[in-house]
Amino acid sequence: MSTDDESFHPLGQEWEDELETMLDDTEYDSDLGMEMAKDAMRVTKGELSEADFHEKYHEDVMDEFGVDDRPTEEAYEEAKKNAGGFAEMLKSFDGDGDESRRDVMKKMGVGAAAVGLGAWGTAEGGQPNVADESGGHATEAHREGDTQWGMAIDLERCDGCLSCVQACASENNLDQGVNWMYVLDYEDGGADTSQNRLVRPCQHCTDAPCEKVCPTTARHTRDKDGLVLTDYDVCIGCRYCQVACPYGVNYFQWDEPDISTEEIAADPENDGEGDMMVDDRDRWVDSRSPRGTMSKCTMCPSRQDGLSGEDKVGTSACEDACPPDAIQFGNMRDEESDPQRYLDNPSRSRTLIQVGAESAIPEVAGLEEDLADADADLESVLEASQDLDEETLQLMKATEIVTENFGEGDADSVDYEQNIIEIFDVLEEHGLDLDSQEVLVGLDLADEPDEDEEFEGADELDAQNALEAFAGTPASNFRLLEDVGTNPNVAYLGNEPGPNAEQVEGPVAYEDTQYERSDGSEPNLVDNRKEEILDEGTVGDAGVSL
Amino acid sequence: MSTKTPSKADILRPIGTFSKKYLAVYSVAALGLIAFLIAWAYQLEKGLIVTGLGDWGTGGGATWGLYIGAFIWWVGVAHGGIILSASVRLLGMDRYMPVARIAEMTTIGGLSAAGFYILVHMGRPDRMVTSVLGHFHITVNNSPLVWDVTVITAYFVLSATYLGLTIRYDVNRLRDDLPDKFEPIYKIITFGYSEKEDEIIQRMVWWLAAAVIIMAPLLLHGGVIPWLFSLLPAMPAWTGGIQGPMFLSIALMSAISGVMIISYTFRRVYNWEHIITDDIFRGLLLWLGFFTLLFLWFQLQSVLNGAFLGPLNTQHAAEGKMAHPAYQVAMTMIFLTLVYIFLQAIRPALFSKTRALIASCAILAGTLTEKILFVVEGFFPPTFDIYTATPGTYFPSLIEILSLVGTVSLVALLFLNLAKLVPVVELHAIEHLTGDHGHEHDHEETTKTETEPEVKA
Ligand code: SF4
Ligand code: SF4
Repeated sequence: MSTDDESFHPLGQEWEDELETMLDDTEYDSDLGMEMAKDAMRVTKGELSEADFHEKYHEDVMDEFGVDDRPTEEAYEEAKKNAGGFAEMLKSFDGDGDESRRDVMKKMGVGAAAVGLGAWGTAEGGQPNVADESGGHATEAHREGDTQWGMAIDLERCDGCLSCVQACASENNLDQGVNWMYVLDYEDGGADTSQNRLVRPCQHCTDAPCEKVCPTTARHTRDKDGLVLTDYDVCIGCRYCQVACPYGVNYFQWDEPDISTEEIAADPENDGEGDMMVDDRDRWVDSRSPRGTMSKCTMCPSRQDGLSGEDKVGTSACEDACPPDAIQFGNMRDEESDPQRYLDNPSRSRTLIQVGAESAIPEVAGLEEDLADADADLESVLEASQDLDEETLQLMKATEIVTENFGEGDADSVDYEQNIIEIFDVLEEHGLDLDSQEVLVGLDLADEPDEDEEFEGADELDAQNALEAFAGTPASNFRLLEDVGTNPNVAYLGNEPGPNAEQVEGPVAYEDTQYERSDGSEPNLVDNRKEEILDEGTVGDAGVSL
Repeated sequence: MSTKTPSKADILRPIGTFSKKYLAVYSVAALGLIAFLIAWAYQLEKGLIVTGLGDWGTGGGATWGLYIGAFIWWVGVAHGGIILSASVRLLGMDRYMPVARIAEMTTIGGLSAAGFYILVHMGRPDRMVTSVLGHFHITVNNSPLVWDVTVITAYFVLSATYLGLTIRYDVNRLRDDLPDKFEPIYKIITFGYSEKEDEIIQRMVWWLAAAVIIMAPLLLHGGVIPWLFSLLPAMPAWTGGIQGPMFLSIALMSAISGVMIISYTFRRVYNWEHIITDDIFRGLLLWLGFFTLLFLWFQLQSVLNGAFLGPLNTQHAAEGKMAHPAYQVAMTMIFLTLVYIFLQAIRPALFSKTRALIASCAILAGTLTEKILFVVEGFFPPTFDIYTATPGTYFPSLIEILSLVGTVSLVALLFLNLAKLVPVVELHAIEHLTGDHGHEHDHEETTKTETEPEVKA
């Protein structure tokens, strides 16, 4: 293939041209066919999910062919099992199995399926495709499915308070020093004065090396939501996962855990249906691990399965505990999820948290009271209200301007948007038109029109600038050790630790932070487990090191 | 050189005798093993916290340590042993035939010790069967640890068959001179034996040997064992293709040294100067020198490739390794041994069996140290560099150190027991030695069976 060949298909431009001619010969829309082909290739590369592909073209296919018989995921899996999977799929576009393949291809007008799905088949075919009978994958290149829990973590907003570490240890009844969630400050050399801090849960990698090397399938990925978990009933404690994970997030249970399973099950604070240990597949994967097995951050399967109450689905203990909302937990495959929204526009999200959170938002009743006797122009309103200043209102409005479907959706941050809408409603009720020229120009969110021009409404760029001026933009957007090929599902905003990073003391010491466990004990967190906990159990601790 | 003629009686001597010294050595070995078994029981009771291990990363420790280091070392000894004996059979290195069986027994001993280490290392050894075998069809596709267990088992079976077949031949020939109290065992060993099978077995042994030689670098100690480490992205100190050849060279060094020490002991105790001759020691010593040279060459390659303008993480790894005093001591020891071996090759007068023995011990100590360091040092400069600046600590606990005593005792006991049961030098070797001197009447027949398989091949 020459370098200037811009074809999307690995077989090159020639094949594509031929395909297009072939499609032109048919009565069907060749543009649609080519478009679908392109996207089908994206699916094979993992840039687009199969479900999105289906959704995107469902209507078009209906219009064009009157029927959308393209295989569902299950049917596709089924077809793959049969040797003639690909031919079967082609047939599904047209019930008549008598036609030649070429005819079928022409008729369905979707070289897309041929090109894209054909490559799809090959991409999949190269991988050993083994699914464990109990619903976990032993190995996979890219998991399919609509849900992949993950996080966006804003390192610049983290203040190092260790609340997340504490909440995690408490939720999971961890032994001291088992820091599934870990926060560390570091120096990177040079004169960099910006914040250097890393928040490090398990990355729940899509291509998790820990899972690949496990000799027992104890370490597995949950099919339904991509969580990488350890089956405590299967693990033999070989510690190969710990050795293979490049992020060092695993903690072995070297001795009997402090809190017994009975104590966990009887936790008075657990009011969900689950026991915080088995997930909805009935596998023991949650909370601290038993002696001799491996543990690590689980991303709270009990919560995700609804076993801790419906309101906790889509949340994690660390996320809930983080005062500045630096941790955003959610579905990485959903553009509308908290982490994806955050990554999409960090300045907007940072601002939203700071002006829209319950703690920051003016009280509705109070605001109504303040405004009771005020005039309805911007200046009077701002003057009359005690808790709403110009900047806050500007930021609130700016957030709305840059957000599509403001206040809609089921991400946690939508609550903040709704808080803002409530305030807006009060103001509008009072008579202040927030989309008027007076208000928008007054808040610097629109340009004053020239004499002969009409007012064009809010200026998104101005709004974005206001948000960025207030909340700043993150130094960078990265995932840890991206070149190792693990496909981590935690995305970071802020400084990426460089090769010379060196851990230093953080603002809050682990030793000064206590956490509560099911048996009522309140030990303190421990940073260096080896020195402070494990060495005590070592028989004949020499006090020296190799 | 000795003027004595090797005879059947010579190789039967260990079986017939029973001395106080034997009893003493046996007791010491048994005590060593029992001491470790007690320690292991304590570990099972308390959990692996009794070791010096920890979680690498924030936890500040090494996840794997002496157990895994010693595991790969024993596997190395075992694999080297079987390669040695296979070369004797395959390449017609008849000169070493008297130590071939010792090498095979070393293999069995080494594999037993290694297998034992797998159990000792696990957090939940009780689940080995259900968890590993139950998911074998899935895990065998990806997990290097499963490949290891598979290959080790396969080699255990292979070596045991190999050894069993040749023993069968001997026991049948020597049956009248063997003690009656082990009659049932001999019966099992020689079950269904007929003279006709000799030729077939010779051929089978030859093919087994061929399989060992071919698979050794590809799969065995040049393959799955180093892959356990070298395929992982997390630890730059482990990564890289050089680990294959490196592991293989270490395996051969350790095995040759081990065989030399064991052979020396037998020769001394049973006056086998005319069987395990000085000549054999000289030859083995040269081979040892050759593999030591290779080993040092690979070490140089790996260290230099990291240290000189390597990517930062490999640089950290290489520097950490070179700076380690234990590494320096081990390498110096190995290097000095190499120097000695070459000097004695030039000036034969420098050779003595005691020196050869010291050289062997130095090599064994050096390779064991290198193995343990290799495993432990891997954790301290990980690819995720942020942990490099705050490395953890590790020093084997008493229980871990005791495991070395335990496994060495285990192997010693194996030899002590086998020596009373079957000849540790095979009858073929005697036939061959005497055949060479034209003394025995079955000369014709012997050489025929010796050369036949090669002709066939
Ligand atoms: S970070 Fe990735 S490799 Fe490490 S334990 Fe989590 S899923 Fe496995
Ligand atoms: S420690 Fe457990 S989970 Fe980890 S690799 Fe071994 S068996 Fe699998």
